[in-house]
Amino acid sequence: MHLVPTADTIPVAWGWFQFLLLLTFPIHLLAMNAMLGSLAVGVIQHFKNDETGRKLAHRIAVMLPLVIAFAVNFGVAPLLFVQVLYGQFMYTSSVLIGIFWILVIPILIIAYYGAYLYDFKFSGLGAAGKWVGVFVLILLLCIGYFFSNNMLLMTLPDQFAQYFQNRDGSMLMSGHPAFLPRYLHMMAGSIAVGGLFVVLLGKFRADADPELAERAASVGLRTFFVMTLINVGFGTWYLVSLEKAQMMIFMGRNMAATASFVLALLLVIMVLVASYKKRFWPTFGATIALVYLMSFMRAWLRSDLLSEYFNLGQLVVEPQYSPMIFFFVCLVGGLVCVGWLIAKTVEALAKEAST
Amino acid sequence: MNYPVWYLPEIGGGLLIALIAILHVFVSHFAVGGGLYLIYAEKKGLRENSQAILDFTKRHARFFLLLTMVFGSITGVGIWFIIALVNPAATSLLIHIFVFGWAAEWVFFVVEIAAAFVYFYMFGKMDHATHLKTGWIYFISAWMSLFLINGIIAFMLTPGSWLENGNFWIGFFNPSFWPSLIFRTCIAIMLAGVYGYLSASFTQDEQVRTAMTRFSARWSLAALIAAIPSALWYVAVLPDPAAALVMGKSPTIVTAGQWGAAAAAVVLAITLIVGFVRPSLNMKATACTAMIAALVLMGAFEWTREAARRPYAINEVVYSNMIFKEDLEKINSAGFMHQALWVENRDITEATQGAVGEELFIQQCYACHTLGGFNNDLKALTGHMSHKALASYIGKIHQIRYFMPPFAGTQEEAAALATYIATGVHGKVPPAPEEQDNGADPGFGLFEEHCASCHDSGDLAPATEALDQAEIVTMLATLDEISDEMEPFEGTEEETAQLAAFLYFLNERPDAPGAAIDGAEIFEAECSACHAPEDLEGVFDAMELTEIHDMLDTLDEISDEMMPFAGSKEEKDALSTYLRSLGRAN
Repeated sequence: MHLVPTADTIPVAWGWFQFLLLLTFPIHLLAMNAMLGSLAVGVIQHFKNDETGRKLAHRIAVMLPLVIAFAVNFGVAPLLFVQVLYGQFMYTSSVLIGIFWILVIPILIIAYYGAYLYDFKFSGLGAAGKWVGVFVLILLLCIGYFFSNNMLLMTLPDQFAQYFQNRDGSMLMSGHPAFLPRYLHMMAGSIAVGGLFVVLLGKFRADADPELAERAASVGLRTFFVMTLINVGFGTWYLVSLEKAQMMIFMGRNMAATASFVLALLLVIMVLVASYKKRFWPTFGATIALVYLMSFMRAWLRSDLLSEYFNLGQLVVEPQYSPMIFFFVCLVGGLVCVGWLIAKTVEALAKEAST
Repeated sequence: MNYPVWYLPEIGGGLLIALIAILHVFVSHFAVGGGLYLIYAEKKGLRENSQAILDFTKRHARFFLLLTMVFGSITGVGIWFIIALVNPAATSLLIHIFVFGWAAEWVFFVVEIAAAFVYFYMFGKMDHATHLKTGWIYFISAWMSLFLINGIIAFMLTPGSWLENGNFWIGFFNPSFWPSLIFRTCIAIMLAGVYGYLSASFTQDEQVRTAMTRFSARWSLAALIAAIPSALWYVAVLPDPAAALVMGKSPTIVTAGQWGAAAAAVVLAITLIVGFVRPSLNMKATACTAMIAALVLMGAFEWTREAARRPYAINEVVYSNMIFKEDLEKINSAGFMHQALWVENRDITEATQGAVGEELFIQQCYACHTLGGFNNDLKALTGHMSHKALASYIGKIHQIRYFMPPFAGTQEEAAALATYIATGVHGKVPPAPEEQDNGADPGFGLFEEHCASCHDSGDLAPATEALDQAEIVTMLATLDEISDEMEPFEGTEEETAQLAAFLYFLNERPDAPGAAIDGAEIFEAECSACHAPEDLEGVFDAMELTEIHDMLDTLDEISDEMMPFAGSKEEKDALSTYLRSLGRAN
């Protein structure tokens, strides 16, 4: 007997939720990568103890609380949509790792306040500041560790029966063959993409501080190149750690997944060459496309892992489309407001710079 | 039953939810009211051309940002995490019904964050009109978040005609939507004033401190006054069972109500005395007292709202323990252990009875009861109940206490649960069937079955002391006149007489059946060689007569030096009565 709960009904066809999930999840990933990766780069720069490195670390520290806010915020939408599509698996896996899953919240609060401390007291903290940065980084890596555990466990219902030996929610999947490569692939990718975010931060300050921008560009692109190269290794490890059936969906068993995989490999070569040649914008653009492609591949993998128990077509639709229209109207209105806020901020900053 | 239960017997999920939720709402309502407060504080600074007030506003905005963006946002996600861990079935249902409500709320959350950052980081760097507009964008999106979440939370309490038609909008704009929205908006504004006291109390500039304390007081007072009619409206729209719970049938609401009223009185007193009459008294300690009182008030409100929904997580749909009301009949006939997904033992045998009972406890009771924990400790609540009393109580738990979900399962499963609580938790030896049938006082049996879930027999002795048996019979027929929570005893005439006799003889009576045998004499003959009566005073206070009776049969288990008492049943009765009287004579 499978320990898979019955799914609840959905109000619109599942494709809408899959679309929204795959639209918003890569945005969360990019924000999360900017948060984790830029902090890693910033802390290393902070340890270098030269003036430009310290300034770059400070710039990164100033941005950190904002990036955390958006990483969390853009995590909410995909977490919502994945619960609509796969709630019966994810609620279960969350309970099974309950203690660690709820620890994400206090750890995140501490990390977030740590980030504000690192930002607001960057100079005042002196040498201790860099250790605050390290502390926050470790906490964020810890959160990633718990997320990887949960996201892996939710795809492995055959492990669910372990609950009866661990009713207190103390299960972890760290021992599973796919766990470590999966976690390392995600974290190394975060640091790589974080490098690109550092370049971007430098570009915003290019006029005011060209030296900083130059350091940001060289450090950021080098980080990206090195970490992406390493990540090719982690990615390969992850791929071979999968059961053969799952590995084969990227090698001909599922044509769309295979095409995405091939395209992703080409993009990897492209970003490696472009970052090596210090060409930021092509690297940046291709990386965004790559993150989207990898998110799609992740979705195929999940769907294949769960296919023995469930497929999305089994979700029962009890149609009510008007709430979705309401959501899209709110989304457009929200984007207009955010656009207005950004425009007015840029305008005010430009005015301030000119005076 | 459809989901596993995250089982931490000494902590309990309810406590974790309460802890995260109360702290979150205390900050998240401030995130709404405080946004409006910032706009008007800034306007006041601009109108009075006071840089000091603008500086105060910026400092307050920084505090606001640090509190609401970090603690407020993350604990908001935290509530989502914790409710999904504690009650995944109800959470999943809410997510699926209202997915686009949640999604729209996320949009407002995005706008809120962007506007809060722009408001704080661009304070003094933008023209005033644009900056104030940013404040308004923040406040409106924050209030819209409240608007959307309020709809879903209110739905849990009063789903209204959604139960018939399943329509999103009907469920969203449910009967308690508007009173709850207005009440929460009032609370948000009151909190803006209270947090204003705090920022003002930390201000060095005496003039600004006075001005902003007065300013804050107006917010708190207006909101407190406006909250009263909306609270009354809120209670008026509750369905009958929930209204009855709020009006006194739920002990937890009575306690929460007392705390809430005291806290409101403190906030009001500080507002009137410190805010209006003597702002110079707004020192850090005063402001912190107001903050604590406001937190207690908020907590009492949320606690009441949650408790008013009992026994449901979503009213009339799913019980607190994740069992759906519509499944109850099927479970009762087929058995919970055969219907539930996440149980290990399906059949009840002698070997599995304890394990089945424990799984039933985990699946059906643990949602609200801990074992040895702070919140609703089942160990403490059932200590006085025998196996028989528990078995009887479990079968009609919802009838006796509406706010508890009905037991879902067969009679055998109810007995297994009773065995787990009586034997597994309390270590009581279950009485052998022949012992139950022969020789036991039928009045005691009736007491166990009908009264013991709420009453300890010892506690009832004073209530029946001045009554004769006929008067007790009359009282049993009119129990509803004594308390709303009781129903008249509905046994046969013979049973009523037996129960009345049992209650009558709880007190020492000259015509007691055991009176002919003197327990003191037996004690003298059998026990006094080793024990003095005064050494045993109070030892049996907490024990039932039957427990003392059982103990006399197993004295050798207490000490090798003793033998089980070998007297007749009447002698045991007399000795038990005597032993218990040792603690009560003084």
